[in-house]
Amino acid sequence: MQLPEVTRRTVLGAGTAALALPTLAACQKSNLPGSDPDAERTLVVGASDEPQTMDLTANAQAAIPQVLLYNVYETMVRIDSEGKLRPLLATAWTISEDRKTYRFTLNEHAKFASGTKLEADAVVKSLELFRKEGVGNKAQAAKMSVIESVKAEDPRTVVITLKRPSMLWLYDLAGTGGVVIDPAGMSTLAERPMGSGPFVFDSHQRGSSVTLKRNSEYWGTPTRIDEVTFRYFTDANAMNGAMLAGDLDIISDLTAPESLDQFTDTSRFTVIEGTTNGEVVLGMNHKNAALGKKQVRQAICHAIDRQALVDSVWGGKGTMIGSMVPPSDPWYEDLSKTYPFDPAKARELLKEAGHATGLKLNFRVPALPYGPGVGKFVASQLKDVGIDVRVEDIDFNTWINEVFVGGKYDLTVVAHVEPRDIVSWTNKDYYWHYDNPEFNRLIAEADSSDEATGIEKMKQAARILAEDAAADFLWLFPRLCITKASVQGIPTNSTGVSFDLTGATVRSS
Amino acid sequence: MSRSLREVTLWSGLVLVGMIVLTALVAMVWTPFDPIRVTPERLAPMSSRHWLGTDAYGIDILSQLMSGARTCLLVGMVSVAIAALVGIPLGLVIGIGGDRWWARLLLRISDMLYALPALLLAILLAAALGASTTTAMAAIGIATIPVFVRMTRAGTMQVMTRDYVASARVSGIGWPAIAWQHILPNVAPLLGVQASVSFATAILAEAALSYLGLSTPSTTPTWGRMINEAQRAIYTSPELTVWPALAIGMAVLGFNLLGDGLRDRLDPLLKEVS
Repeated sequence: MQLPEVTRRTVLGAGTAALALPTLAACQKSNLPGSDPDAERTLVVGASDEPQTMDLTANAQAAIPQVLLYNVYETMVRIDSEGKLRPLLATAWTISEDRKTYRFTLNEHAKFASGTKLEADAVVKSLELFRKEGVGNKAQAAKMSVIESVKAEDPRTVVITLKRPSMLWLYDLAGTGGVVIDPAGMSTLAERPMGSGPFVFDSHQRGSSVTLKRNSEYWGTPTRIDEVTFRYFTDANAMNGAMLAGDLDIISDLTAPESLDQFTDTSRFTVIEGTTNGEVVLGMNHKNAALGKKQVRQAICHAIDRQALVDSVWGGKGTMIGSMVPPSDPWYEDLSKTYPFDPAKARELLKEAGHATGLKLNFRVPALPYGPGVGKFVASQLKDVGIDVRVEDIDFNTWINEVFVGGKYDLTVVAHVEPRDIVSWTNKDYYWHYDNPEFNRLIAEADSSDEATGIEKMKQAARILAEDAAADFLWLFPRLCITKASVQGIPTNSTGVSFDLTGATVRSS
Repeated sequence: MSRSLREVTLWSGLVLVGMIVLTALVAMVWTPFDPIRVTPERLAPMSSRHWLGTDAYGIDILSQLMSGARTCLLVGMVSVAIAALVGIPLGLVIGIGGDRWWARLLLRISDMLYALPALLLAILLAAALGASTTTAMAAIGIATIPVFVRMTRAGTMQVMTRDYVASARVSGIGWPAIAWQHILPNVAPLLGVQASVSFATAILAEAALSYLGLSTPSTTPTWGRMINEAQRAIYTSPELTVWPALAIGMAVLGFNLLGDGLRDRLDPLLKEVS
């Protein structure tokens, strides 16, 4: 089950700005011109969602791997900023003829921050964590459930056998489900996560921050940053204020894109604008008699001016996608022109479907930063083509229970931020109730094919989704990251959940 | 306070309230632009076409303010009516009951309700019944009941000590008739003042609730919701926050001034002291 991004600000949580003030002396010192090059290099990163625990097997919350993945924990393979698979702890891997057996060769230099050599046994034990009965992070457990067995053939070779061929699984192994955990830290996952990454976990101040320190024993290219602090803000304006005041080095993600104009001074700030995996989907309940008709769904897609919607709701920041695929996936194609803004065409299609007038739909909008704006915009444009939309604002927990789980809605909107979540369209019991055997067949075939064929089939599947107007794919969340001009090496695109600081550097004067 | 100054208070209150009522009435039949239809004219500056400019959705600000006045008055009227219709009879009964155990019990129950903030009640109601204008009106109304109970009771207790009540009692007139003929007319001015002040509080509460998204749906413009939407762009387009804030300020000030002015004019208890 994919959970949409939880960046909601709780209704009454406006007052945490005060938490943001102390503890900055160290970081400012290193940024003073002409300061000692040997001085501590620290980074303070502003973020909006604080981890509930540091145990990434316990909970699917994206805030946990945001801090830990790649920075503290490493995986055998990783995904780079362009969405491609790259070796990390494994130097190479081979795939058997039947595409079910993967043989990974581990890097001989790899070792944990504790000094222990990183060997195949640790990989086996780590993967077992997600395959155990009753693991809390069900999303990752589901992804790893395709594994039949994991074996350590020798200290440097891991053999993983799958129940069925799966091309997508290797991408999943590059994420949270594939982290290699220090066997010494298996019992302290929540308090002291221990991995092999360039940073080690230092402390978690509840309600305020998480601190990482440099791993002086790092087996690869060591980082030049001595200390990283993730500081959490519930109020976007407070976070922007801290950045403007020089208290932060990085804003990991600008939650109010309208405020980008505050950071235009290029001598002080760098704005990193890239893509994410977050598709904002206008969900249509296929069980609704009218929305079950393709023409009605097509009409809705034609009726909404998506670029204008992004301009109004999200400060004009974001990418038009047209299907459930972000540009960083290998099977991306620009499908955003499938249903261009054309109210006349929309009215015509509605007429053909027998809903020229009198179609009433309820639109249940979750209280997320973009929710009410999308509600207002979509209601207005659908009214223009003769659909009467009743907007109902509900809080996010109600949304989860009644819309996401209960399926009680006609229209709704939410961002799906999981990587490769196009596969959730194969589940006809998912809250959209989309059921197209042709689509399901293509996804299944793609998964069991080799990479080249698989990518081609994924493209076909994405096209079917777009053509079917399965939903209106409104826009792709932008990655808007602000750094001080002195900070470099932050990846442009956010292809997974990690806030990857492994390549970050700071100019010291 | 001199008499002329008191008149100024009353009249400035009347003018402000009058302006808002007039705006709301006009908005019922006409606004310069459709207050809910999005247009491509995003963030237009002030001009002869859009007097106060447009917001990020290309919706005319003035039209939204006018339409917001309607919602604000509606919520104010209905919630004050709920509070008065329940609170005044209850206050009369408790006042007449005096020191008897049931009167004291009722008063304590009303005090308990008083301790519950309107906002909390609204969040509870919105969670249970869904956020809507009706839940907002109900929450504000219920939370205002104790104010009317206390005010009516205090007035009643005072009137009860008068000789004419005693003589009416001796001549065998029943309590309901005494309440209706003797007590209510004497406490009415007091309650009128209270209604005006409560109206101001209700407007503020409605603004807070719609700011938090607990009142009207996002397709109905209200002043609180306008502030909420403008907040995201507060550094880049601060004027979007100013207009609805001014409207709320004017309305609250208007009803408070009206209440003050009315009290100076009407309150018989005040007159006795001076």
